[in-house]
Amino acid sequence: MTSPLEARSLVLVREGNTVLDGVSFTAEQGEIFALLGGNGAGKSSTLLTFLGFLDPSGGEVLVNGTSVTSDIAAARNAIAYLPEAASLYGHMTAYENLDYFLDLAGKSASKDEIDAALDRVALPQEARTRRLQSYSKGMRQKTAIALALLRETPILLLDEPTSGLDPVAIDEFHDLVKTLAEGGQTVLMVTHDVYGACQVADRVGLLRHGKLVGSFAAENGKRIDTETVHAAFAERQAV
Amino acid sequence: MSTITRIAREEWRLWLRSRVVVAAALIVAVLIAATSMLTAGRIADEQSQRTQQQIAAEQTFFAQPDRHPHRMVHYGHYAFRPPPPLAVFEPGVDAVTGQSIFLEGHRQNTAMFADTKAAADLGGFAALTPASLYQLLLPLLLIVLGHAMFLRERESGTLAVMLAQGQSGTKLALGKAAALLAVIAIFMVPLVFVAVYSISLGESALAAGSMVAGYFVYLCIWGAIVLAASILLKQRSVSLGALIFVWLFAALIVPRFAINASSAAIDAPGKIESDLVMLAEQRKLGDGHNAADPAFMQLQAEVLEQYEVETIEELPINWRGVVASYSEAELTDLLNSYAEERMGLEASQSRIFGLFGLASPTIAISSASRTLAGTDLATHHRFLRESEALRFGFVQALNEKHATELDYAADINRNADAEASRRARVNASAWQVLDEFRFEPDGADARLERALLSFVILLAWLTAAGGIVYGAARRVRL
Repeated sequence: MTSPLEARSLVLVREGNTVLDGVSFTAEQGEIFALLGGNGAGKSSTLLTFLGFLDPSGGEVLVNGTSVTSDIAAARNAIAYLPEAASLYGHMTAYENLDYFLDLAGKSASKDEIDAALDRVALPQEARTRRLQSYSKGMRQKTAIALALLRETPILLLDEPTSGLDPVAIDEFHDLVKTLAEGGQTVLMVTHDVYGACQVADRVGLLRHGKLVGSFAAENGKRIDTETVHAAFAERQAV
Repeated sequence: MSTITRIAREEWRLWLRSRVVVAAALIVAVLIAATSMLTAGRIADEQSQRTQQQIAAEQTFFAQPDRHPHRMVHYGHYAFRPPPPLAVFEPGVDAVTGQSIFLEGHRQNTAMFADTKAAADLGGFAALTPASLYQLLLPLLLIVLGHAMFLRERESGTLAVMLAQGQSGTKLALGKAAALLAVIAIFMVPLVFVAVYSISLGESALAAGSMVAGYFVYLCIWGAIVLAASILLKQRSVSLGALIFVWLFAALIVPRFAINASSAAIDAPGKIESDLVMLAEQRKLGDGHNAADPAFMQLQAEVLEQYEVETIEELPINWRGVVASYSEAELTDLLNSYAEERMGLEASQSRIFGLFGLASPTIAISSASRTLAGTDLATHHRFLRESEALRFGFVQALNEKHATELDYAADINRNADAEASRRARVNASAWQVLDEFRFEPDGADARLERALLSFVILLAWLTAAGGIVYGAARRVRL
């Protein structure tokens, strides 16, 4: 069976520096795969290659079995992407942002459908007609997640999704991601938050200087052991 | 709604919600509206006044009493150049070349009554013309609006989100271009109104339409330059700085340099310098007021032989009138040769200046604009030639009257007493020799043909700038 996301011996060289060096992994349908690593490990670059924003120098990345370089449009149509900064327009309201980006994605949604998505991410009703420039990071993140929900793509890429969120918002976010995965969406998230990754992910890959140096999976219905991953993370960071 | 239209609409939403942008656009709009109305009113007044003054000058000439015809040669006449209809948008060289000429015997006077007094009356505000606002200010507004169109998306991360929705860089660029195009289209409205107004004043639709099209292309060039900078450069401040530099270069530095370069390449002496050089040659021609001047001995011999008489007193025509006519023709040939040489040099300078359009679209549009409006140097030169033809025509016609209708003996004794003076006059009906003069600009076809090179240069600019935008948009990266 074809994996929704697959990196095969992925190599990425940018301005003479090797950013990714032979990274291989898959993310299966309904799975949450977290790529964990420190600053400069190559996490975000990995996401960007799946979107076709960066071209691999070697190896390849596949979305639903198709090489991204051969069909970027197909890859982008299958993926909802949530950048670290939850980048949406500050001068627009949540409704306007969602309507616009859905339009760009070739989709349309009624106000009721948009409200339903915003209800799922628990964005307060009164905030929806306010411009995003008055939002907290968490509220922007929720709006961005709502966009991902409305796009109904089989794959979700999350770049440092809980960065800057308060603990309550992080818990809410994790619950939401789990719900999406249970609904069949494949989630690839990159983070440096060991605890968060272990809380939400089915598998965690440890990325260090562009190499995948460890992999941990939840087994027997238990979450991945945070202590184990933290120890490996700290050890690798110290190398 | 297409994706391109949607992107353009959202760009507009951002602009409309930005106080700075709205304020800048409003200031420019008010300035254009105010300047257009002021200029239109002023030019319409001038057109009416100069036409009336031309008629009044003719009536005054015709109303002169019985006189010696040579007194009428020196009484003179005026030729006025009323501003053409499109001068309401582009006064062109009118303000510096002068608009009327005093026509008299033996002289080619300089055009006078340039508009500096009117400008001073309005505290210099009249120096702002709709054309100069379109040439200088609107590109600045496009820079303010568009310098960060792409960069803002890149810096805020929304570019990644947009591309991640499956949109190509080309489509995003087209959307942004459509937003700028809408701005340009809106700011074309005042020009369209002015063009329609000029048509109501008698301008041809072809010239007025070409003027609108020329400025549309010009502003599209700036739109493309702004968009290209926004795509290719990496920081907003760099983009703004680079575009302001390009604006300074194209709108201020190159035109000034072009003026100096064309003057340096072709040294054209002014009218006063020409006149001084010409004086020496003029003296060799003899004094037309002195029929006994040795310079006319050859002429005298020929005329006596022609009429088969021995003395000038025996001639059936007035020898002094013959000399005046001959002298005027000789002098005019000399004056014309200098005038043509000077105008040729000025035209060459103008051509060199126009070629600097390759370095600055502002020069290309200003050349095209003046030519289409009929306020360019070539039109002024035609006014000089036509007014000179008018001058020569009536002066020679009066000399003809002098030669044929005034007795030589009465003429030479005209200062003896009052009665002698009265006898040395011709009937006032003779002043009807003056032709009616109504200066009109060239036809639209001729003006368009003269503006063709500038239009080709503008289209080359648009193609190049559009090509850069297209190439950059195809390679859009985060």
